[in-house]
Amino acid sequence: MMLTTLIRRELLDNLMTFRFVVVFIITLLLVVANTSVLIKDYDRRLASYNSAVKSNHERLLESKTYSSGSWDVVRPPNLLSIFNAGLDKRLSNEIFVLHGLVPTLWDGQLHGSTNPLLNLFSSIDIVFIFEVVLSLMSLIFAYDALAGERERGTLRLVLTHPVSRGKILLAKYISAMICLLVPLLISLLLVVILLTTSTTVSLNLDDFLRIGGIVLSSIAYLSVFYLIGMLISVITHRTSTALMLAMFVWVFWVLVYPNVILVRITPAQPSEERLASAFNQIEQIWEAFDRERKDFLANDPIPGEDPHLGVAGGSGFYETWYKAKSTLLYTYIVGSYVNKLDDEFEPQVPHVQNYYRFIIPRKIDAAERTWLVRKQALESVYFRPAIVDRIFLRLSPIGMYDAATQAWAGTDLFGLRDFYEATRKYRRTVIDYLYDINAFGDRKWFSADKGAVDWNSLPQFSFQRSDVHINAKRALPDLLLLLMMNLILFMVIFWVFQRSEV
Amino acid sequence: MIWHITKRELYDNLNSLRFALTTVLLFVLMLINAVIHVQEHPERMQKYHDATTKSLNTLRSRTDLFSIAQEGPGNLYKKPSSLYFCAEGGDIFLPDYTYGISRTQIANNLRAFWSLYYPAAFPNVFNIRPDTVKVDWGFVIGYVLSLIAILFTFDSISSERERGTLRLMLANSVPRHTVLIGKFLGALVSISIPLTLAIFMNLLVISMSRDIDLGADVWIRLCIIFIIAILYLCLFLTLGLLVSSSVRNSAVSLVILLLTWCTFVVFIPSTVALIASGFSNPMTYDEFYKRGGQNHRELRDEYFALLQETRGFREKKIQLDSEYVAKGTEQDERLSQEHLNQQIAQIQLARSVTRISPVTLIQHLLEVFVGTGFERHQQFLENVQRYAREYREFVTDMDRADPDSPHIIGVREGMSKKPISPESIPAFEDTLSLSRDFNAAAIDLFLLILFFVVLMSGTYLTFVRVEI
Repeated sequence: MMLTTLIRRELLDNLMTFRFVVVFIITLLLVVANTSVLIKDYDRRLASYNSAVKSNHERLLESKTYSSGSWDVVRPPNLLSIFNAGLDKRLSNEIFVLHGLVPTLWDGQLHGSTNPLLNLFSSIDIVFIFEVVLSLMSLIFAYDALAGERERGTLRLVLTHPVSRGKILLAKYISAMICLLVPLLISLLLVVILLTTSTTVSLNLDDFLRIGGIVLSSIAYLSVFYLIGMLISVITHRTSTALMLAMFVWVFWVLVYPNVILVRITPAQPSEERLASAFNQIEQIWEAFDRERKDFLANDPIPGEDPHLGVAGGSGFYETWYKAKSTLLYTYIVGSYVNKLDDEFEPQVPHVQNYYRFIIPRKIDAAERTWLVRKQALESVYFRPAIVDRIFLRLSPIGMYDAATQAWAGTDLFGLRDFYEATRKYRRTVIDYLYDINAFGDRKWFSADKGAVDWNSLPQFSFQRSDVHINAKRALPDLLLLLMMNLILFMVIFWVFQRSEV
Repeated sequence: MIWHITKRELYDNLNSLRFALTTVLLFVLMLINAVIHVQEHPERMQKYHDATTKSLNTLRSRTDLFSIAQEGPGNLYKKPSSLYFCAEGGDIFLPDYTYGISRTQIANNLRAFWSLYYPAAFPNVFNIRPDTVKVDWGFVIGYVLSLIAILFTFDSISSERERGTLRLMLANSVPRHTVLIGKFLGALVSISIPLTLAIFMNLLVISMSRDIDLGADVWIRLCIIFIIAILYLCLFLTLGLLVSSSVRNSAVSLVILLLTWCTFVVFIPSTVALIASGFSNPMTYDEFYKRGGQNHRELRDEYFALLQETRGFREKKIQLDSEYVAKGTEQDERLSQEHLNQQIAQIQLARSVTRISPVTLIQHLLEVFVGTGFERHQQFLENVQRYAREYREFVTDMDRADPDSPHIIGVREGMSKKPISPESIPAFEDTLSLSRDFNAAAIDLFLLILFFVVLMSGTYLTFVRVEI
């Protein structure tokens, strides 16, 4: 009963103020303006994705032989990147799936970038607006919560009534949170309305659940900053001191810490030795493969090292070794597209078929073994430092909030990794399909003179985003951290407030 | 009288918590900035030197005029600024080199000459580490200092009014504008002290490093940068005074100021840039490659059609080859130039629209005087293009100087066979010119001053009319 009276008093105090109106309007304006721009940006990315898929498919249909076909897959833009862009816009989004290479994040490329110079301008998303504005507002609402009442002497007045100090704290907390939630929830509601009215966007139930997760994280984040402000208010005796402390805490957590902490924790340059040793191992795998290949050619009834035995006449045949030490890329590309075969070469065709039937499975095998080495090395050279960086960022509430919302949106490192996982699975499916139809020993592997390949039965790539419960599982640690921080802060405030003089 | 008020303000500020926190913050940030620069800059310079030497060596390894004319100068590198720590200017998103290679194969033994190609920089495509803003002077001044300016002035008038001391002061027959200017100067001096000291410490750390040589003209640039920083600081101090004098309550004044700061400093630059870049549609890379391929095919077809007509006459064929080499080269060059121009036009539009945000102005100005960022990149491209002309002129001059040459440029048989001494080939050196900088900076500087004057007169008018 007493609690509701207190809350009502606080609410009226807060809601009727000019600062509340200003906060409300500015937040709304920023969110709405940015949402519409971000939706437009999403539309553009979606259109470029669709055209890339189409042109890749056309290119596949143009290739007449199995060996010259390339099964390129494209990553669709994530709708929830509007909330938190994460890595969605910047990592490679087109991957060439080859049988001789298990694809990773580092083997792709970025399609659909019209003007790379646009990266000069920083991009923002809705979570970023909340990160900056809401934290600032929470602190402003909180800094005079207790210090102000103490200065004015009203705190003493309230405490003359038989009301516990805990209840006063709780009332202040609840009412301020209600005030702060109003702009947050209304602006998020507007975002959802804008999203649903957009023609290109379709939200399903899972997306709504993910957005719900983002809302939940936002509330937890808001509350952390409110409690930080309240703690400052409780330990200082003057509002002006409280305000300055609160502002500098904000500058430190939001502006300084995230940009400074990563400066020199982990080396910017990847470890050269680790890469070199892994590259050596990979080199050996492929050299062994090449020896096998050459042995086969040497023991062939037909002399010479030309795998094509002159069949293609050199024109439609290509052969390259791809190597890149920094990403441990190593593969052998070979293929041909013969359109017309002279009769004199006809007796040699079975030999070429035999050759491909022999080397392609070995090449696939070499690629798989390369992957085992490569996976571990890339993991330790690139992945682990990135994870360590993110752990350090989590020492600030803004880092936790960012990580949690990225996980909900599926634009975090793990969400993106799902895509590369899917491309690896797709590669396996395609290889299994090629084995099934016995494509490697087929004449159509290298020559289209007796009809072109029918690509229509090739399995299609589709990328399903992880289920919402996986998003939840990934977001949970950060969400729990935020909640725990809330709890600890509240307990500390309570403890300090109980002992403080009024 | 002004000095009296200023002194009073100064004493007030020097004892305050915010002064202490500001000092600590600025010192820490500037120290971090200096340490990073001392660690990174020698590596950057080394990389530049290695790259330029390598490309110069390849250039000088060629001795015959034809291959010099065909292969071109190779990669041309942008020289890193020695003031990189002041403003990084998004340099990682700008390619730090261009290359000139021969791209178009016209026929089996006929290749177009080299042409300039402008690569794109995608530093983040394979980078999975989190994004961070570089802590350079631009960040410290643009973001942190502007916020500090607000924190020093948001209550300077409203709180005195709240406490009633303002009325007391004005009762002493002090003109209002004196109070205003006194308060302004007080805040300005009290922020300038830690700022100047932090900058001195920063420069001290950097110039003490043995691997870094700042050079002489750098100090002029640094002075200009400091003056611009103070001007920017004044802008935000005036903004603080304006809001503080028009609002009765300090808390409300702070809310308004912080939201204005967030909007103009944090959000406007990116939001407006995103909107403005939507207005133009530069050629995509797909289109670029497609057009290149199409040009190439057309050129080949034309060439082969005309080749039939030569009927094996050697002189005619040489003439034709030479003509098509020139055509192919020009086509390649024109296409990359067009692509680049469209991209640059898009960026320029976005950059000029974002000038409504003062933080963009200060960043542009810093970039200009530091020699990083987009303006500098354009200057580099101009240098490259001028060099390309020089290089081609060199080829024609060398050919013309040889009386034995048939003077048909483009084919080996038609060009001088005299060996070229490696030293005579012009080498590319990227330079920065200060006079051009002032031109580029003029509009930004003008806008910054304009904003300041408008705000100052607004503040004056508000304060003179306001009831106390």
